[in-house]
Parts: sequence; C-alpha cells; structure tokens
Amino acid sequence: MIDVQNLSKQYQIAKRDPGLAGAVKSLFSRKYETKQAVQDISFQIQKGEMVGYIGANGAGKSTTIKMLSGILTPSSGVVRVNGIVPYENRRRNASQIGAVFGQRTQLFWDIPIRESYHLLKHIYQVPETEFQQRLEMFTDVLDLGPLLGIPVRQMSLGQKMRAELAAAFLHNPAVVFLDEPTIGLDVAVKDRIRAFIREMNRQQETTVILTTHDMQDIEEICNRIIIIDGGKILYDGALQAIKERFGDKRTIHFDLEKNDGFTIPYALATRVEQVVSHREAAGKSNSISLSFNNAEITAAEVISEMMQAYTIRDLTIDEVHIEQIVKDIYERGL
Amino acid sequence: MRYLRLYGHFFTAQLKVMMEYRLDFLVGVFSVVLIQFTSVFFVKVVFDQIQSLNGWSFYEVLFIYGIASTGRSIHHIFFDNLWTIGWQYIRNGEFDRFLIRPVNPLFHVIANRVQQDGFGQLAIGLILLLTAISHLSIVWTVGKVLLLIVMILSSGAVFVAVNLFFATLSFWMVDSLPIVVGVFQVAEFARYPLTIFSKEIRGLLTWVIPYGFTAFYPASAFIEHSGYQSVALLTPVVAVVSCWIAYWFWGKGLRAYTSTGS
Repeated sequence: MIDVQNLSKQYQIAKRDPGLAGAVKSLFSRKYETKQAVQDISFQIQKGEMVGYIGANGAGKSTTIKMLSGILTPSSGVVRVNGIVPYENRRRNASQIGAVFGQRTQLFWDIPIRESYHLLKHIYQVPETEFQQRLEMFTDVLDLGPLLGIPVRQMSLGQKMRAELAAAFLHNPAVVFLDEPTIGLDVAVKDRIRAFIREMNRQQETTVILTTHDMQDIEEICNRIIIIDGGKILYDGALQAIKERFGDKRTIHFDLEKNDGFTIPYALATRVEQVVSHREAAGKSNSISLSFNNAEITAAEVISEMMQAYTIRDLTIDEVHIEQIVKDIYERGL
Repeated sequence: MRYLRLYGHFFTAQLKVMMEYRLDFLVGVFSVVLIQFTSVFFVKVVFDQIQSLNGWSFYEVLFIYGIASTGRSIHHIFFDNLWTIGWQYIRNGEFDRFLIRPVNPLFHVIANRVQQDGFGQLAIGLILLLTAISHLSIVWTVGKVLLLIVMILSSGAVFVAVNLFFATLSFWMVDSLPIVVGVFQVAEFARYPLTIFSKEIRGLLTWVIPYGFTAFYPASAFIEHSGYQSVALLTPVVAVVSCWIAYWFWGKGLRAYTSTGS
C-alpha cells in the first residue's frame, strides 16, 4: 500500500544573527543553513496495517507525512501510495487519503458540520447512498447526532476531534494519516476515537498511520511501530518486541526529608539505578530518581526498601513515555 | 463544469450562513455602499465647479465609475479570499489542507469565501451604471449590451488577475497583504479618464498594472469622442492575458511551497 524508498528531504533555512542588527543585515545578505529533516528512510506498509509513527518533536515525522500526502516534494527518493506518486499526482492521491492534522481543522469554520460533510461529499465525489450510509454509521459510533447542526467554531476540543475524524473517513480513503488525534482529550472521548479507528480498519481495511505521543494510543491501535529520530529510522517492527525490551522500565521519584549523601540501599543495589536529572545534579534538591525494570523488581519492593532506609516525604511513579523509549534506544541501541 | 457545480455547493452553504447572520450582512453591505457613495459625492462636488474633465462630462465619468464598481464587485463577491492567502492560510500552514483535497487548490481557496459586502459594491455599481446610461446618448443595441457585459466581466477579471499575482508573493514572504493593498489602491486612479494623467502613469496603468482596463478603456468603447475606441476592444484580451500570467505565477508559488513547505 505504501512504499517508501531512500526518502530524503532537506530544507534551506535562512540563518540570522540575533537582534535588530542581525535582522537588518539579513535583509541584504543571507546565509543559508541546510537542515536534513528526513534522511534516507525506507519502509513498506501493507494494506490494512495500523502503524504508529513516533519520535520526538522535530524528528521528521510530519515531514514524512507531508511527503506521503503530497504536500511536500522529496529531495530524493521515491514514495508510492497505492501505486501513485503523491507529489506528482497530488490530486489523484488526495482522493484516496484522509487526514487529521493535529489541531488544524479540515472542516469549514463557520458552517454547521452537516453542511461541511455535504461539501466534502461533493469535493470527493462520494455517491449519495454511500455518503448517507457512512454518515449514519459515523454519527452512531462517534455520537455526532447532537453536533450536526453546529459549526466547528462553537465546538469543544473533543467534539471537534470527533467531527474531524468523521470528515477524514467520509470518502472511505485507503490510507488515513492521523496526527495526534487524541491530544488534550478526556479518557471517554479518547476511547471512543480509538474504537472508531479500529472499527474503520476492521470494516474497510483502512491503512492507518498514526503519530502520537500517547503510548496508550499506540498500544490500543497499532500492531507495528516505526520510531524515527533525527530524520532516521531507529526501529521498525512489532510493538510487542519494543515493549518487552523497554516498556517495563519505570522510574520512581522520591522526595527525601533530608539529603546528606544518598546511596542506593544494599538490597536494591543490583536491580535499581539512580537517574540524575540536572536539577538533582546541582545537589540542591532532596529528590532522588530511581529507575528499574518491572520484570526484575516490583515498584512496591523498591518503595518499601527506600522507606526503610530513608524518611520519604513524597513519591511519584513515572509511566513509560514513548520519548523515554526513544531516548533509551538512542543512547543504548537495541 | 464540475467546478461550476462544486462552486454552487460552496456558494449555497455560505449563503445559508449569511442569512443566519442577517445583521452582519446588512451592516457589511451598507458600509460598502456608504464608502462608494462618498467617493461619488466627491466627484459630484468637483463637477459642480467645472463643466468637464478633460472633455469628459459628469455622467461619462460616472459611467467609468459604474463599470469599475460593477467589475470590482465580481472580484469582491467571489474572489475576496485572495487578499488574505498569506496570513490566513500560508503563514500558519492551513494551506496544507487544500493540498490534500482532490480539487485545484486555487479553486478551493477562492470557493472558501463569499464576501457579502461585495453585494453592496454590486448594487452601487449597477445604480451608477444605470444613472449614467440614462443621461448619456448611447444608442443601445443587443450587440452593445453584450459588449458591456463582456467589458464588465473583463474588468472583474483584471482585478482578480492583479490581486492573484501580488497575493501569490505570500508563498515567498511572510505576508504580502500590504503589497496587495498598496497595489489595489492604485485602482483608484483608474476610475478617472486616464487622459488627465501624465504619460508615465498612463503607461503604468495600461501595460504594467493594467487597471486602465478595469474602467477607463472599457468605458471608452461606448463614448465616441474618447479616442480610445479601438484600444477599448483589447480589454477582453488584456483580461485573458493577465489572468494567464497571474495563474502561471501562482503555479510557480505553489511549487515553491511544496518544495519548502514553509
């Protein structure tokens, strides 16, 4: 379905000296800096796959998505979506893809979404009966009924995102790009959105590419992840494998009553390691962070050993963040 | 043909919104009428002092005004979104949305907005035209009526082309709105008989920014003593050529956008 080969993209960025003087200077002579946004990446995605495309901000995620959707032309390499080269045949590609791009709306700002959907029907040339069926189903699964008469302008974030999702799937696209579809939403709406995506994939075999920072999104939707960092692919494979390796890593932050020379309690020494953040390194803080692998030791054990050795004022347990996994892979390799 | 029908759908959807906000609609139309009326009033005051302007009578100048206003209303109603391409779409990346739709992105940008205030412009234009015509001794034949319609459409097309050309600069700069506004101001000159201006300004308004073809030249086709009756017939040609150049430039801008994604 999606075939990406040796894809690269670099930008020219105008460099400017700081301050007003720099701004004036840049009017006359500009130095350019080349930024390599995506470097020689290749992957294939089969029909019906749901892939999490993850990485830190600025890793090259959206540049890749933009090249897949035809918004950007690559510097080198080849992209094919369902056999079509998106940046050469942008309009043909557009009719077979759908997208939800983060906070931006695909819908018409002032127009009630029912009208918006009708316009989209005409834009994508969806046959009337198909349109009616789909809208009915979406209204049901995403609970859009009460929203149809309201313009996006007046909607809450959760309502808007549900409306957006319906818009992205309205023309039954073969591939859908979802950029942070659950960001800032409450748990109930997140659940509904995830269920909808799974349902569309089951019914229509829609290929889904999902970029997110939410580990839960990935666990509930994707069976495969591609991790990108610095424009290069760090990992491409099953979610399970990466979770086994890194997903069990947790961190607990302790707030000690007083801190005069901390050492890890003997019972924990081999199974726990201290993570030193910048603030803690400065030695002014009483907080200590310990990281450990869930498979080797439980959080309860770590906490109880610590409580015996020190007076603990407070503690927080960190869940695994995708950023942490990326960082771990980056620092230690696979 | 498909685009025409699609435009119809865009248009009706927005019309519904306009009807919902009736007060906004009326205020918008009224303010444009007021602005236009002030400038016509100014011409009237001038003509109270003088008999003719370089051989042009009050109603002949009104006729030029009428063509300019009607032509401009086409631009104002249907193509108003061109003004703000820069800050509304390109600067914040909203433009991406048009690129993932299976329609021409320029069409989409244009269809996305129907400017209600333009109806005020249209009303004023038609009133001016009718007033002027009733005082001028032009012999109206079917051919001449058709010619007038072609001239007004061409006038609108020239407005659109010039605006599109300068709005396209937004692909390279942060916001071209000040330039677009500046250039548009020049159109004010073109509402008077061009013969009152120096050769340089006349040349500028004819060959560089062809605003002369939005009012003065098309009007000349109907005024026998104008001395520009043959140049006047070039109006539709100029309209087509300027649209072509502007669209070509737009295409270049679009390619710049898709290769940098600024």
